[in-house]
Order: sequence, then structure tokens, then C-alpha cells
Amino acid sequence: MNTSDPSFLAKMEQQSREQQKRFIGHIANRLGRGGAGDSRKPEHPYRGAPEFWNRYELTHEERIERFMGNWRAAGGHTERVAGWEELSGVVTRILQEHGAQSTIRHDLPELAGLRLEQQLPELAHRVWNGQDPDASLAAAAYTDAGIVLVDDAVAYTGSLVVTSSAEKGRSVSLLPNLLIAIVPTERMKTRLGEVMGRLSCSAGEGLPAGVHFISGPSRSSDIENDLTIGVHGPGIAYALIVG
Amino acid sequence: MSKPQGSSVKERAETALKDEFLVNAVKFTTEKLKNGKKAATAEHGNWEEWRERGRQIRAHTIAHLDYYLNQFVDHARAQGVHVHFAPEAKDAARIAVEIAKHKQAKSVVKSKSMVSEEVHINEAFEGIGIESIESDLGEYIIQLANEPPSHIIIPAIHKNRYQIADLLSKEAGETLAPDTKILAGFARRKLRDKFLEADIGLTGANFGIAESGSIVIFENEGNARMVSTVPKTQITLMGMERLIPTWDDLEVMATLLPRSATGQKLTVYMSGITGPRRTADGDGPEEMHIIIVDNGRSLQLGDPDFQELLNCIRCGACLNACPVYRHIGGHSYPGTYSGPIGAVLTPALNKNTEEWQDIANASSLCGACYEACPVKIPLHDMLVYLRNRKVERGYTTAGEKLAMKGFKMLMKSSGRFKQAVKLGQTGQKLLVRDGYIRSQFGPLKGWTAYRHIPALPSRSFRERWPQLDAEVGASLPPMPEAMKSRMESIVAGRKERGTKR
Ligand code: SF4
Repeated sequence: MNTSDPSFLAKMEQQSREQQKRFIGHIANRLGRGGAGDSRKPEHPYRGAPEFWNRYELTHEERIERFMGNWRAAGGHTERVAGWEELSGVVTRILQEHGAQSTIRHDLPELAGLRLEQQLPELAHRVWNGQDPDASLAAAAYTDAGIVLVDDAVAYTGSLVVTSSAEKGRSVSLLPNLLIAIVPTERMKTRLGEVMGRLSCSAGEGLPAGVHFISGPSRSSDIENDLTIGVHGPGIAYALIVG
Repeated sequence: MSKPQGSSVKERAETALKDEFLVNAVKFTTEKLKNGKKAATAEHGNWEEWRERGRQIRAHTIAHLDYYLNQFVDHARAQGVHVHFAPEAKDAARIAVEIAKHKQAKSVVKSKSMVSEEVHINEAFEGIGIESIESDLGEYIIQLANEPPSHIIIPAIHKNRYQIADLLSKEAGETLAPDTKILAGFARRKLRDKFLEADIGLTGANFGIAESGSIVIFENEGNARMVSTVPKTQITLMGMERLIPTWDDLEVMATLLPRSATGQKLTVYMSGITGPRRTADGDGPEEMHIIIVDNGRSLQLGDPDFQELLNCIRCGACLNACPVYRHIGGHSYPGTYSGPIGAVLTPALNKNTEEWQDIANASSLCGACYEACPVKIPLHDMLVYLRNRKVERGYTTAGEKLAMKGFKMLMKSSGRFKQAVKLGQTGQKLLVRDGYIRSQFGPLKGWTAYRHIPALPSRSFRERWPQLDAEVGASLPPMPEAMKSRMESIVAGRKERGTKR
């Protein structure tokens, strides 16, 4: 059963609201406040990173260099590509090098512009389709390469940021074993806080359901501390920096 | 899940010490993680400022937990999340089971969650015939072995590749070579199918963000992303104290947590999940439940000695720093949480005074846990409070005077402990001979420094008091000044507040 019976949810909802009063009231009580909890917004003088950190800034070139160093150190591959024109050839080469038989990509004009269908007609290409979720998900689970356009990148931690929407399935950056992430240079930030600040600003209006920071290929050290790459998530991760 | 034999910390430690692989694995792993942290914090710089900011944010949130919880719940509901409240462990399990039953679920796939261990969720699901599968590689391994995790960050720290190959071969129905790649490859294939089949994905949460009702999960494998992307229903279990006010605060936690846990700049994945999938999205859960769990946490609120326990971000750095943990491994501790944090949290959550007696002994009080802690929780002081409360509640025949003498003795044994640890490899080897402990210091002696191996290892700490008192009285070396003033201020502080609680 996918969606619950509305009456079941309504009943749980009612119980939840009754319980909330008691639960949070008890917390307020322990903290020496009465009622159902403090309703005034507390002063929050320590919000976010220490002051000095918010002034930390790298130049454009430093950001790119730092990102690439971090991404490689985490076990990922990264290349700088002069422009969108060259990008198509680079993606094609990577797909061939790894013997990919199939691709899935976010439904974005920039990625359609790679013209993979023409470049590699022998491969099976698919575009994420939020209208056909089950088929898209099943396809992603058994596709070799996922191609995404990132929302942001963070140089200091070597992280990519991808968010979900109808056009941008979360599965595309997760299920295929080969991830190719396109990073336009102007989206490269210095600090995590720059991305957080934006998320914080839109917190009230509603965020994308999924905001994912990705900092290299999937890894585990759970067997005798031996590093294993590609447990669950992509084992081969490319960040292609365009511009 | 079966804990290794022995009911007391000491007995379990003895069992653990007989397993040479375990001893070496724990040592190696904790050393690796500890060095990773050291390098990462040095590279990042200004670590003390970051720690202090981390402490400030956590302390502020806990001091206003009522406000932030209401805010979190309002925002989560506005995004379509079904929020539930579980005062006790059994309530959390009951709510999860109710949802699963209603959905006629056949299988639940889980990512790592300490709270789910706390509320014994696997047993609850299995009790009604629902398969519950751990998907974190380490957790999957120990689930097959039917054992609890022994380290917060690396749960299968105590298993070698041959044991793992045996476990996975049984699952595969064929013999798998004891090779990491082959074993991990099998787990990937096997679990991939499980993700796709599962009706429900169950996750924990490292943080909840009050201003948007989001949950945040840190991980390296991608299994938590799978669990929150593929199944149609997601249930998230979250300790009620996990909150931070804003996304801006997440930058601080993201700076402190991975560096302290493994020395990474950031875990491979950090996912912020805000509600179920939007109508047009093609993946992510269609229905999302968050169960907010108390289970003894609220007992720490308003308690000046222990409220800071709720600041913990579960990084495991105190385990890796603790000479006692490094020596005896996770299964020696009772309950879900091991190491210094477990030694304080377990009895605090249970309000189990009897247990304090046993577990508060399992520390050298050297303060390494505090030094390691990214949010500056004074665990070593808390261990002293535990000990002190035990005295107050009459769990020892000795009075306050004797207990204070005990403090001095701790300091003495702590000094010895440090010295002995410095001896390094050679000293370590001498500890375990013929599978038995010959330690002259540390956990196996409680806080004491015996001259001889006890003939009756099961004697309780309390029973040893008179003898110890005599022994210590005979030759009490001076306590280091810093330690002494700290101990004195603790005791003075307690007196001022009126001690009996
Ligand atoms: S007590 Fe501190 S060091 Fe230990 S797990 Fe919690 S946050 Fe980490």
C-alpha cells in the first residue's frame, strides 16, 4: 500500500497534537517554564559560524583549485573544461573510457545540449521523468551513468550540491555506479555557509524536498578498516568544471 | 541482540580482552580515527573557536528546546510530514509498528540510527513478521552476526574479514572469498534489491533544523540516501535533542562532526530532507513520518550536572580518545552507547543508580574525552558526579569523606594510567597474557591501583572500598594541582546548589 488511508492519518494526527502538548509541556516544565512551552522566539546570538570565518574568501581561481584538490583527495576525478562546446566531447570520452552502456540525466536544457544521443547512438539514453516516477527510478537503478548539473559547489570542503525537483530526480546522482557532475565555475562557492545562508533564507517558503551535499565517491571502511569505494552510491565520481 | 557474556563491565571487559583480534582492531581503528581528527582539526585551524561556537549553539538550543521543538514540528507539518511523539522507547516502537501494519509492509530497510537501537526497532518489526534490514555495511554485518554495534562510527570494528566472509557466504548461499571488494560487492548487490523491494525506509537524523522542519543525515556509503529516496514511505526516528535552530548553524555542525568522527572535511553525503517528495517529484518518499523520542532525555533537562549531555552530536571522538575504550572495546559497556559518552548517557537515560556503580568505574578520568569533544561536554566531571550521587543515594557503605578520598585515589590512578599508556606497545603486550588480564591500571581495576591480581574478580567496587581505603591511605601521592582545583570546584559547586537530587 503506497498512501495511507486518510482516516488512519487523521487519527494519528489527532493523537500527535494531544501528545505534543504533554511532551513539550514536560520539556518546558523541566526547563523551569510552565505551559505548553516558550512561544517567544529566543535571542539567538550565536547563529552560524564564528565571525572571522564569514570573512574567509578565496579568489575564483583558488576556489577551483581547492575544489579540485579536495575532490581528488576524496577519491574522485575532476577536469576543467574550457566551455560548454568542449564539454560534450569530454563527457563522451568518459562514458567510453568506463564502458558505460546506458545513461540517465536530469531533464535540463544544459544537459540536453550535450547531444549524447547523437554522440553515442549505441548507448541507451534516458532523461529523468518526474511524470513517470516508477519507470525512472527502476531505470536509474540499473543504469551505468548518471549525469547531473549541480546547483552549487563548495571549494573548502570539496562538495557538490544537488537539489531535487520534477526535473532533477535524486536517484540520478545516487543509483548509477558512474556519476558525472557538471559544475559551472560561477556556481563555485568558498564556504559551506554561503549555501547554508541561501537555504536559510528560503526556509520559510519551503525548500526542495532533497538537498544533497556530495563530497566524493561512496565509501566505507567497515571491513577491517579497508577502504571500499562504491558501496551503495556511485563508486566513480567525476566533477567537470566548466569555464 | 546478544551482548557478549558477563553481566558487569568488568566481566565483559575480561571476555573482550581474551580476543586478541578485537583488542588489536579496536586499537588500530581508534588510533586511525584519532589521528584523522588531529590532522583535520589542525588543518582547519582555530579549532577552539569552532568548538566554543558548537557548544554555544547546542547549549542554546537545549535551553530553549520547547520553543525549537514546536517550531520544528510546525514547519515539518507544513511540509506534509506526520510528526509523532514518543515519551518512551516502547512508544516509538509502537508508533513505527502501527504505521508498518497499516501499510501491510513486508520489509523495512534501515540506515544507521542509534535511536533505533535504543528503542529496539528491529525486534519490534520482527515481532510482527516484518523483515527489518540494516543497510549500512557495518550494521548489516553485525545484524547477520546477531550482535550489537561496538563503536558509534564503525559498528563492526570487532569482526575480521574471515568472520565477515563466513557471515556473508551463508547469506549468499555460496562461498565468498575473504576479500573486501568481493564482500562489499556482494552486500551492494544484495542490498540494492532490498532497497527496491522495501515498503518502508527507516532513518535516523543527525540534526533537525527548526526553521524549516528539515532533517539532516551525514553518511559515507549512500545507504541513508537510498533509504530516503527509494521506498514510498519514510519513517525517521529522531532524539528530541537533535535540533539546531537554523541552516546557518548546520555549517558549524558540519565543520565539527565529520572532522571529529573520521577526520573528513565533510562526509561523502550530507542530506537535508524537508518533507515528503513534492507532487511533481519522481522520487523520494510519498509519505513521511518523524517520530520524536524522549526516552530519558528529558530527565537531564534542568539538571545542571547533566543537561550538557544533550549537547552530544554522537561523533565518537570521545571513544577514540579514551584509553579505557581503546583497551576494552565497545561491548564491555552496557546499553546502546559505549565509551565515555555511553558511560554517562546509559545510566543517565535509565536513571539506573545501580548501574552507575559499575560503569562509572570504567573510566580513568584522565579528561581525554573532554579534550576530544567537539562541543566540550565535560564527561569526566559527569563521571565524578555519577560517583558522587551514588554515594549520596547510599549505594556504598562509605560516606562523603571516603568518597572524597576516592576522588584523590582516582587522580592517583589516572596519573599512573597515563604513565602506563606512555609505555606504549611493550606495556600493552604485558597486559594480556595467556588470555588473561594482568593490567595494573585502568578499567579493570575500577579506579584503583591494585598491587595484586584480585583472587575474586567478581567482587564489587563497594566491597573493595575498605581495603582500597587502607591501601590508598598508606601511600597517597600528591594530586596534580590542576586536577585538584577542578575536583574542589566541582564539590563546592555541588554544595552550593544543594546536592540531594
Ligand atoms: S560526548 Fe562529545 S566527543 Fe563524545 S560522542 Fe558526544 S559529541 Fe562526540
